[in-house]
Amino acid sequence: MQKFFRRNFAGYAFLSPWLVGFFLLAIGPILASLYLSFTKYNVVRPPQWLGLDHYVHMFQYDQRFWKALQVTFQFVVISVPLKLIFALGVAMALDKGIRAIGWYRALFYLPSILGGSIAVAILWRQLFNYDGVINLILRLFGAEGPYWLADPKYSLWTLIVLAIWQFGSPMLIFLAGLRAIPQELYEAAEIDAAGPVKKFFAITVPLLAPVIFFNLVLQMIEAFKSFSGAFIISGGSGAPLDSLLFFTVYLYNEAFSFLRMGYASALAWVLLLIIALFTAIAFWTSKYWVHYENERG
Amino acid sequence: MSASTMPAQTTADIAHAYRQERAKRAKRSAVLKHIFLILTSLVMIYPLIWMFAASLKPDNQIFGDLGLWPSEFQWENYSEGWNALPVSFTTFFWNSTVVTVLSVLGNVISCSFAAYAFARLEFSGKTIWFALMMMTLMIPYHVVLIPQYILFLNLGWVDSYLPLIVPKFLAGDAFFIFLMIQFFRQLPRELDEAAMIDGCSPFKIYWAIIMPLSLPAMATAAIFSFIWTWEDFLGPLVYLNDMKDYTVPLALRSFISTDGVSQYGPMFAMSILSILPILLFFIIFQRLIIRGIAMSGLK
Amino acid sequence: MASVTLSEVRKAYSSMEVIHGINLEVQSGEFLVLVGPSGCGKSTLLRMIAGLEEITDGTVSIGDRVVNDLPASQRNLSMVFQSYALYPHMSVRKNLAFGLSNLRMPKDEIERRVADAARILQIGELMERKPRQLSGGQKQRVAIGRAIVREPQLFLFDEPLSNLDAELRVQMRVELAGLYNRLGTTMIYVTHDQTEAMTMATRIAVLNKGNLEQVGTPFELYNNPRNLFVASFIGSPKMNLLKGNASGLGVDLGGLGTLSARPGTSGPVTVGIRPEHLGLNQPGDLAVEGTITLVEYLGSELFVYVALADGQSLLAQAPGNAQFKRGDTVSLGFKAGDAHFFDAEGLRIEASA
Repeated sequence: MQKFFRRNFAGYAFLSPWLVGFFLLAIGPILASLYLSFTKYNVVRPPQWLGLDHYVHMFQYDQRFWKALQVTFQFVVISVPLKLIFALGVAMALDKGIRAIGWYRALFYLPSILGGSIAVAILWRQLFNYDGVINLILRLFGAEGPYWLADPKYSLWTLIVLAIWQFGSPMLIFLAGLRAIPQELYEAAEIDAAGPVKKFFAITVPLLAPVIFFNLVLQMIEAFKSFSGAFIISGGSGAPLDSLLFFTVYLYNEAFSFLRMGYASALAWVLLLIIALFTAIAFWTSKYWVHYENERG
Repeated sequence: MSASTMPAQTTADIAHAYRQERAKRAKRSAVLKHIFLILTSLVMIYPLIWMFAASLKPDNQIFGDLGLWPSEFQWENYSEGWNALPVSFTTFFWNSTVVTVLSVLGNVISCSFAAYAFARLEFSGKTIWFALMMMTLMIPYHVVLIPQYILFLNLGWVDSYLPLIVPKFLAGDAFFIFLMIQFFRQLPRELDEAAMIDGCSPFKIYWAIIMPLSLPAMATAAIFSFIWTWEDFLGPLVYLNDMKDYTVPLALRSFISTDGVSQYGPMFAMSILSILPILLFFIIFQRLIIRGIAMSGLK
Repeated sequence: MASVTLSEVRKAYSSMEVIHGINLEVQSGEFLVLVGPSGCGKSTLLRMIAGLEEITDGTVSIGDRVVNDLPASQRNLSMVFQSYALYPHMSVRKNLAFGLSNLRMPKDEIERRVADAARILQIGELMERKPRQLSGGQKQRVAIGRAIVREPQLFLFDEPLSNLDAELRVQMRVELAGLYNRLGTTMIYVTHDQTEAMTMATRIAVLNKGNLEQVGTPFELYNNPRNLFVASFIGSPKMNLLKGNASGLGVDLGGLGTLSARPGTSGPVTVGIRPEHLGLNQPGDLAVEGTITLVEYLGSELFVYVALADGQSLLAQAPGNAQFKRGDTVSLGFKAGDAHFFDAEGLRIEASA
């Protein structure tokens, strides 16, 4: 007993802040939020048990829930692949000791660092204003841009562009991945008379697959979680016509504008399950297209 | 004989010509790459420069103008913006600084504790805790937000900075723990063992050996922690209701919601000031930041 | 100075046992070398003595105190690591003083000891440098210095020379031996290199797969190996091994002839003969014929590889001025008294002439 205590004491002592945080701020809240999702709760009065009512309502009657799902999925499905393709393209242009690589890298990464800030969200509202920079540029080419912010058909694109603008961090990870591909493989392929396209699909893509997979999972989770851009650009409500009603924005408003904490908790759990599901799918499919180098077969 | 009519071509000549051809091709592709990269950089950076220019423009020049040169420099945008809201930006910057400094401190201390335990100490249940820690990387803040809010509400912490700061002292950000674990694992274990024989307790090893050798990792964590806390919007939005408690991002948002139609210049001036600390940090610590990302492979 | 006693010491990771009950007595003031191939458990054993690995079963005593539950720092020992493990962020002086200051030793005592160590190891002018500014040999000296300032009753060395180049290794070997003569402290030294073991040890303990094969002086191990493993592990170049069959008449070496020695048993045996005991074209109790397949010239001596008619191969040693070349037919003569005999289990059997 004394021996057991001594062997574990230091480890748990160092772990204790995290343990407290884990129970009080992570696992505790997750379970509490599951409980709350079965209740009606407005902070003022104690929670009232409702059973599955919130979930039934959500799936059967709540148009805004479906709208929020649709907007969020649209955002994820369009922005993540575009962002990754762009990141990979630029990373490949930067690979192999190009001059001034440090400058480019820093410049391309800068938006990723600023992208989450309110300043940039405010800037974006201005850029996509009807008389904003984007439309002025389009006019230079003789095209008339739409009302980006007011027209529900186009509003989501402002956020997609904002997401792609922040391609810097997947780019850096791709760059590190490209560096790890042995140069000899490309030389061997050249001797085998492979062209650039062939080399890309026969060497770069398969050897980079673990990194692509990693970036994909990460960016997907990030995209599902994104909040401040949509919140600021839509003026906090998801306007126009709920076309910017990200799931997180809907959840925030249910909880803190309408104090429907129980319903918002149910939404939170749906979000958690969606993210878990997507991550699981990514991991499950990864065994078919991701091969790690130290693996046999 | 035909060989005598042709200038003799040695293998060295062929190799030379081949190398030249290759070099020419490489040069051409490098030029193309640079053109692509420069254009991309311009597109990337243009919005930021435009914002800076807008912060110095008179309001009537902000819309309908692509140019980067203000017709007249309105430096007063900055002084006007600083005092445009009922509470001065001096307060907001002070608030943001307090929250950020304490958060950075909390993150570095608590996350390095946890990382040291995971990377260096043996204790039962370690693998399970580690897996749980990695899983928290995935949890969206929105999912824990409501119960956390209720908890802090019951503690009477809403409308104070405690809900923003205390979690940072409880190693809430698994990303930093992961980053530090990666770094600690690179340090030779024999150092710990030598220190153990030299009479160090686990805490002394952490403090006198591991921490001094992990300054780059600590700096990286501190920088990211700084940037994310400085930019954090949702946390302050939920927990701070009184304008005199606002952090800078919340204050910026007030510019939009107060419908101050003629305040674009001052708004951009304050936007620029709000990202200035981040820009400075980025310029100074660029190398550390970029290496940090490549190392942890995250964010 | 202290003796070290291991009794029935075992180590298991989860359910895999890697050390199978070792009994070993290290006398006070002895230089004991633990030697064995990589993965034999020698480092694990040393780390258990040091207190860096938990002891699964059995007891380790230093002096007359059982130290199983004592933390490393309280065992009054110091250790030199393979990678030196110098603290990279501390100067040499700080590296030396670090352990002493942890013991809350008075400042002037620390200074005295650090200065002593610096003088003994001739690292006086390196004291303010950081480890990365030192060469491999200098790092090694500092690592040893860090061990001796503690003035411990026991020194542990974990393959301390394996990161050095060949020349430096020989030099450090001599210095270590000198240090041992000077301090006279008990030392336990782990290595996979049998030359290091032979040259420095008072006694050698040979480990194999978590078992202790033999403990003895270098002379004993070389001349009376208890089993085949020790016989082929100790000695470079390796001992030649031939298949044979013992009977009352002698040992029949297949088609090579019969050796007139009578080991106490009959049945299949292995006959071992060291290369230096094979005389090229010289008579002996038995001479076998073969063809030279390779000659390695080392200057002072020759290694001659000889293929026998039955496909077995022997290595013989000859003086450097001898003239042999590939393809020559030679006869190898040896005395029955120089041969070692091992039974079917690989255990040594004594033979009478």
